[in-house]
Amino acid sequence: MRFTELLTLGLCLLTISSSRADDAIFYNRDIRPILTDMCFPCHGPDSAARKGDYRLDRREDAIGKKVIVPGKPDESEMIRRILSADAEEIMPPPAIKKTLTAKQKELLRKWIASGAEYQAHWSFIAPARPELPKVKNEAWAKNPIDRFVLAKLESAGLTPAAEADRRTLARRVNLDITGLPPSVELVDEFVADKSDNAYEKLIDKLMTSKQWGEHRGRYWLDAARYADTHGIHFDNFREMWSYRDWVISAFNRNMPFDQFTIEQLAGDLLPNKSLDQEIASGFNRCNITTNEGGSIAEEVLVSYTRDRTETVSQVWMGLTAGCAVCHDHKFDPLTMKDFYSMAAFFNNTTQAAMDGNIPNTPPIITVPKPEDREKWEAVSAALKEMRAKLETRKKEARADYDKWLAEAKVEQLAALIPTQGLKLHMPLNEGDGKALKLIVDGQERSANVASGFDWVGAGKVGAKAFAIKIGDPLQIPEAGDFEKDQGFTASAWVKVTKRNQSGAILARMDNDNNYRGWDLWLQADRPGMHIINKWQDDALKVVGKTPLQPNQWSHVCVTYDGSGKATGVRVFVNGVQQPVDVEADQLQSTIKTNVPLTVGQRSKSERLQNVVLQDARVYGRALANSEIEQLNRTPQAVELLAKPADKRTPQEVNELFDWWLVTMDKPFQELNGHIATAQQEEIALKSRGTIAHVMNEKSEEAMAYILFRGEYDKRRDPVKPATPAALPAFPNAAPKNRIGFAKWLLQPEHPLTTRVTVNRFWQEVFGSGLVKTSGDFGITGELPSHPELLDWLAVDFRESGWDMKKFFKQVLMSNAYRQSAVVTREKLERDPQNRLLSRGPRFRMDAEMIRDYSLAASGLLIPKIGGPSVKPYQPDGVWEAVAMIGSNTRDYKRDAGENLYRRSLYTFIKRAAPPASLEIFNATARETCVVRRDRTNTPLQALVTLNDVQHVEAARTLAQVVLKIGGESFESRADLLAKRLLARSLRSEELTVVKGSLAELTAYYQAHGEDAKQLIAFGESKPDDRLDPATLAAWTMLTNEVLNLDEVLNK
Amino acid sequence: MDLLQEYQRNVTRRYFFSQGSHALGWASLASLMGRAPGVAGAEESSNATALPKTNLQHYVGKAKHVIYLHMVGGPPQMDLFDYKPVMNDWYDKDLPESVRRGQRLTTMTSGQARFPIAPSMFKFQQHGECGMWLSELLPWKAKMVDDMVFIRSMNTEAINHEPAISFIQTGNQVTGRPCLGAWASYGLGSLNEDLPAFVVMVAKPTNTEQVQAISARLWQAGYLPGEHAATSFRSAGDPILYINNPPGVPTEIRRKTLDGLKQLNELTLQQLGDPETRTRIENYELAFRMQASVPELTNLASESEATLKMYGDEVLKPGTFANTVLTARRLVERGTRFVQVYINNWDTHGNVAGRLPSQCKDVDQPCHALIQDLKQRGLFDDTLVIWGGEFGRTIYSQGGLSKQNYGRDHHPRCFTWWMAGGGTKGGTIYGETDDFSYNVVKDPVPIRDFHATVLHLLGFDHERFSYKYQGLDQRLTGVEPCRVVTEVLA
Repeated sequence: MRFTELLTLGLCLLTISSSRADDAIFYNRDIRPILTDMCFPCHGPDSAARKGDYRLDRREDAIGKKVIVPGKPDESEMIRRILSADAEEIMPPPAIKKTLTAKQKELLRKWIASGAEYQAHWSFIAPARPELPKVKNEAWAKNPIDRFVLAKLESAGLTPAAEADRRTLARRVNLDITGLPPSVELVDEFVADKSDNAYEKLIDKLMTSKQWGEHRGRYWLDAARYADTHGIHFDNFREMWSYRDWVISAFNRNMPFDQFTIEQLAGDLLPNKSLDQEIASGFNRCNITTNEGGSIAEEVLVSYTRDRTETVSQVWMGLTAGCAVCHDHKFDPLTMKDFYSMAAFFNNTTQAAMDGNIPNTPPIITVPKPEDREKWEAVSAALKEMRAKLETRKKEARADYDKWLAEAKVEQLAALIPTQGLKLHMPLNEGDGKALKLIVDGQERSANVASGFDWVGAGKVGAKAFAIKIGDPLQIPEAGDFEKDQGFTASAWVKVTKRNQSGAILARMDNDNNYRGWDLWLQADRPGMHIINKWQDDALKVVGKTPLQPNQWSHVCVTYDGSGKATGVRVFVNGVQQPVDVEADQLQSTIKTNVPLTVGQRSKSERLQNVVLQDARVYGRALANSEIEQLNRTPQAVELLAKPADKRTPQEVNELFDWWLVTMDKPFQELNGHIATAQQEEIALKSRGTIAHVMNEKSEEAMAYILFRGEYDKRRDPVKPATPAALPAFPNAAPKNRIGFAKWLLQPEHPLTTRVTVNRFWQEVFGSGLVKTSGDFGITGELPSHPELLDWLAVDFRESGWDMKKFFKQVLMSNAYRQSAVVTREKLERDPQNRLLSRGPRFRMDAEMIRDYSLAASGLLIPKIGGPSVKPYQPDGVWEAVAMIGSNTRDYKRDAGENLYRRSLYTFIKRAAPPASLEIFNATARETCVVRRDRTNTPLQALVTLNDVQHVEAARTLAQVVLKIGGESFESRADLLAKRLLARSLRSEELTVVKGSLAELTAYYQAHGEDAKQLIAFGESKPDDRLDPATLAAWTMLTNEVLNLDEVLNK
Repeated sequence: MDLLQEYQRNVTRRYFFSQGSHALGWASLASLMGRAPGVAGAEESSNATALPKTNLQHYVGKAKHVIYLHMVGGPPQMDLFDYKPVMNDWYDKDLPESVRRGQRLTTMTSGQARFPIAPSMFKFQQHGECGMWLSELLPWKAKMVDDMVFIRSMNTEAINHEPAISFIQTGNQVTGRPCLGAWASYGLGSLNEDLPAFVVMVAKPTNTEQVQAISARLWQAGYLPGEHAATSFRSAGDPILYINNPPGVPTEIRRKTLDGLKQLNELTLQQLGDPETRTRIENYELAFRMQASVPELTNLASESEATLKMYGDEVLKPGTFANTVLTARRLVERGTRFVQVYINNWDTHGNVAGRLPSQCKDVDQPCHALIQDLKQRGLFDDTLVIWGGEFGRTIYSQGGLSKQNYGRDHHPRCFTWWMAGGGTKGGTIYGETDDFSYNVVKDPVPIRDFHATVLHLLGFDHERFSYKYQGLDQRLTGVEPCRVVTEVLA
């Protein structure tokens, strides 16, 4: 306890002495913090929590109730109450366990005596470009930033530090622009460049590198909460990386920040939207989602909307809007109504509550590979043109059709349905009773089923259809027993009546024998096929990428060519071949099984529900695409034709016409053939590419409900989309949707967007924002260290056309940035956290930078940009410890080869178990928006950089470089090592230490050859066998030592 | 208080106390912390390395340590602790609406046409002086009921795993808040600088039919400083991530490189004067000592034959519950404040007959052994053991019901937890539920009361134990009123 007291005392002294600059009382600086802490929780903006209907956050309310009488503290109820000795009267009441200090009481009294002036909270007043302040040392101020910084330093009696030496500067600026250490050549070139603008040239050069976008994008992805899994429950893979690549590319194109904002908040709503703009709307699809069984959809949807609203508020406005979910904000002018009105903008998406545990939860779009883009556009255009022609032909052909219809015969039509190899046919349209017609190998028989189905209306082929229910399965023991090298086909008309169904439509599969057999399968409404000897080591699994439309009949067909390969499985919906995901592709052994063919489930489980079937068929051969087309269309045509002409509805006549066009009309067929070819190409392009999760508005008007205490089932008033009343008005001309919302954020009079944005950028460079609480610009956030500078930067940024590169260049060009990071005792006392910028920025690098530094300095780094996320080294068991059985991110299967050495922003992020070595260095799990990471300094971090295979392998790789091209002498080798890692040579006292280390290491490894071999074999890459193992081992450990230097780990 | 918190938030910036050899320096900090300033360099560095031993207790708590055994999935209270013989007459009858009272159900059973009562198929007997009824599945607990507190009236607000487990761990259904262990680490600090104050371990159940997801977010520090997140102790590979040297690097070689590293970092410190460099130097030394202490810690074979026998046959098998709780005891013995253990597969939607005996077998004997072991070592009074899941289960059957088997859905309205040691009053049976084990009828214990009680045992007034974040004094127990369940305290 003694320690605590002393410490508290020491801190108080320090705080008070630093705030004694002048005696004037400022509301924002001196009074508001007291009121915020002591009074506002019960007498502030939150109407629900307000006690006695006294409100102190607004001057007129406080004066109106005589709580404050300006100029007359003794008549003010506030002063009477805070001085009261009566436990019933005293404020704050003892129950809240907070007491005012004598100092605070005195401040309040003085403030009231001086007139009790309030000030609006600074960040809610739009910034105006301030005058540049006067400074004594004009020569030091290289640009406007410097004038503000210097003015502050001069008034604090501090002088700026000298400019850092060129090598330090080259390293610093390289790290800030690219996130990577500089090459030896780049530093040498800069040191040798005597021109006046050498530094500027360096910046310009670095800013053109593609690593710029990677480095800037990495910060943004924290705010966007980008990750590669859904986050909750199964925490399965989410194919989201096209959004990540969009972010990198947007920075590299130096997209103006206003456009950057609009495209991410509303890319899907833009007129003539481009593919890229739609991908950008993925910002609002990065939130965590669930598919936990038992979840209540409305509860889940409310949480998604809430997350989007909080994220957007935090990123663009620095508001902790989450507080207003359950009650009016305690401090900031943000009511519950404000929150839910803002939420309404983000509450109108077609996204379902359940993510389906699939990588491509709708709404999604296809994204071709960059190199396929041109072809993709060509194919899309060609298809459009051909489809138009098809329409024309359709109009012209009507007469021919009518002629045909007059003479057509049912038998002729029926003969068009493929019958060769038809092993089983179940019409499933009897319409009543418990006896079902089966045609097995051409022999008709019937099967009696007691329960487990229902006849329901509106069939596709026949009036009534077979709805699967809980109960007895329909089983046909003699059908569907195929061998793995035999082609076969299964098809049915399928209607899913509730989203998200999974189970077997037709299966001959033995649950108890490692799922041996096959099935026609629905996986969250996506049709697919399993062909299995032993799941999942000896099996094929292919699933269509697109879910079936709910409540519509779809003709589903899977066909297998007996090749034992996933490429031999094709999936068709309504006669059209589907792009697929291959989830298993290794089949060597038999698939024959004794369990019967079963409708609606496998032998024991995976029973479907909410699914209706008709016309199920199994063929003992692979059908051709044209046959599948016939199968899709003809049975219904037969039905229709069998009806007397006067009983056909107009719609049925049209359906028959469609059938006729496809099957009988040559010109139509020819065109259709071309379309099919083009579609094949489209499918190939789709399958090669990826997808993007996008936003997509419902057709109805956006709205939300105010939710009592934030609870999903306690709805209060409905609200329309609107922005908070305390902020600038919504532009009249802007639409009340996300486009309008984005434009509202970008108005010149918006007080927050620019400030919050430039502050976050500043934080990236200086480690701390001008407003330290970069995610909270509200009343409880910290005041800016340099308010005028912040406003100047904010206005300048907007007026420069929201030019991000220009902004950063200006910062990096400033003298404030270029200062040496040397700390003097004076500065440590008077500017302990470097808030006044009395020295250059120096702080531990972020997790990703530390790993990338090792890879880059050693030469292991693969500079490839973008693409699917990768799985580099990670200790065994990190995923397995937490993941559910059945999750597809349960077993961490690390990649091999170049994927081990990609930049860390490409590392696969599983939210339930984020990348271990990065997490230890405060990388976030990306579950929610984070605009400011913790920066701790712990022993567990030391263990990573000392022992993690990726750092040790990097050390060995760098040691090899040093031994091979670093010359023969110790000095020249040590020099190269230092230049690669520190961008400088070693000083003589450092050289002595390093030499001593190397001597001891060499002696050890010469005497312990086996240890040397083991050490250099650590990691996937092979050690250079031309090097002596003992020498390489000694240099590996020396490099490991230097890689762990404080100077390496710090920017 | 706030200033102190501010200090802790900035704990990595120890600018007040260290500026190389000039300013106050670490020796002074050590003396502030009530210790003699180090004479030898080694001693000084040993004092300096860990976080200052901040202790924010409001009073001396009875519990110095917690071992919290979380049964992931939610065990069925009526098959284990909450004896409901009346239900035998209700077999396959529908749950009356007067009991359910429109309570929401998960969508796994909300579509069921019927809610047929499934009486427990297990036999119950009374035990001990307290007369606690226990299921036949818990023969080892039966031997020690008088050392335990049973709370049969726990209740929660969440109905599905993710929000429920988040709620019971962090006091909030939405993720992102600090968990109980992080609060303990924050408030109590460390007793052994060579080991983390807060450790999490995930034990493997024998049966894995219905394993639920857990995730690293459950042991995060939330808005508390990052160092209060749990360190994961693992049963496979390195017990602490990256604790082992690379192959071919013996301790002596690691020491040599650390010596060189330290000298070089000292030069940097002289050059730049950044206090963070000092902290880094100390952390590398601490890492080295951790490397030395962990193998000793995890070497369970050094336990006596008698002790090992007590924990059962599985005790030396890495990752088993027995193995995990013995490790927990060793951690506590060495000064770790809070050990969080998870064991999965309690989510008995179906096949209670097949699964529950296996689950109980996994945990029953080791729990008994843990408590005997703590007692033998004089640690029982200092160590609070907590056992329970994130919610209970329904009396009605999910899916098919027979006399031989049934399933049970999630049930938030009541469930049973037990505690032992650490200032609790052994032999207490607290709270009652109705005949259906569906609603609490006496002495309800909402999660926040439970949190308040644990904090109290650790020496904290839950209303004052707060952390300033977003302008508010954030508390584990939130803003709703709650109380310490004094009835279960010794």
